[in-house]
Amino acid sequence: MSEFRKLTFAYLGLLGLLVLTVGSSFFPLGGLNSVLNLVIAGGKAGIIALLFMQLAADGVLPRLAAATAALWLAILFGLTLIGQ
Amino acid sequence: MSASNESVAFDTPARERRADAFAMWIFVGSEAMLFGAILLVFFMARISYGAAFAAASQRLSLPLGTLNTVVLITSSFAMPLAHLYASAGRWRAALWSLAATVLLGLGFLGIKTAEYTMEFREGIAPVLGAPFTYDGPDRVHAEFFFGLYFAMTSLHALHLIGGIVVIAGMLMLWTRANEASRLRRVHAIGLYWHFVDIVWVFLFPVLYLINR
Repeated sequence: MSEFRKLTFAYLGLLGLLVLTVGSSFFPLGGLNSVLNLVIAGGKAGIIALLFMQLAADGVLPRLAAATAALWLAILFGLTLIGQ
Repeated sequence: MSASNESVAFDTPARERRADAFAMWIFVGSEAMLFGAILLVFFMARISYGAAFAAASQRLSLPLGTLNTVVLITSSFAMPLAHLYASAGRWRAALWSLAATVLLGLGFLGIKTAEYTMEFREGIAPVLGAPFTYDGPDRVHAEFFFGLYFAMTSLHALHLIGGIVVIAGMLMLWTRANEASRLRRVHAIGLYWHFVDIVWVFLFPVLYLINR
């Protein structure tokens, strides 16, 4: 697949996920709404990181930096929310 | 130093490019800590004052928030196109893609300004000494929600302004830079721009889509 086509599919995917997240917010799913919104946001962030930021193709060091940031955020959120 | 190297510290352009990308990812990671901490404060408050936050969130403009998300995602699409064209040596197309990115960024800021103006007029902007005349339930915690909303969105907007300034500066120096430098710069600013987009991807549902 050409690079241009890949980027276009990623863009359309992001718009599709936006429609999904806005649409789902009009259905009362209780606590699931927030969970669904965050899962979709995570999916969008994944598309941007992997395809737009070329995280998968840019070598080991960027992946290491991204994984380190994710680990510290997980510690921050995990230790704070664990007592809730 | 090779003719296409920007720094004497690297013996090949490929090595310099990898160092650039690594440094930008570390910077992006440190920025993620900043926004992560603020989001965590918001989540903790949301857990404690869920009903007040849900009612206050209804006062935000979902159409404008959604439109702004489309604008920012589109700018994020224009940025890798600039890198794609720059990689292929299609400099004019790369230049137009960068210009489109800047214009879409300015469009985002314009829409956000309109939204802020509406919120100040409605009296739901407890910032800069503006009167807070919110008439919904649990006024105290609603004020907390709007305070966090303005803190998070204005911090995001400041980052966007920073990105616009850097891209504009890059465009002004475009003809003076050699081709390898242009490509490296487009890649580096692209990483930052996409990070700012990712921050909005989380801010939008967290702020605008609470129990719609």
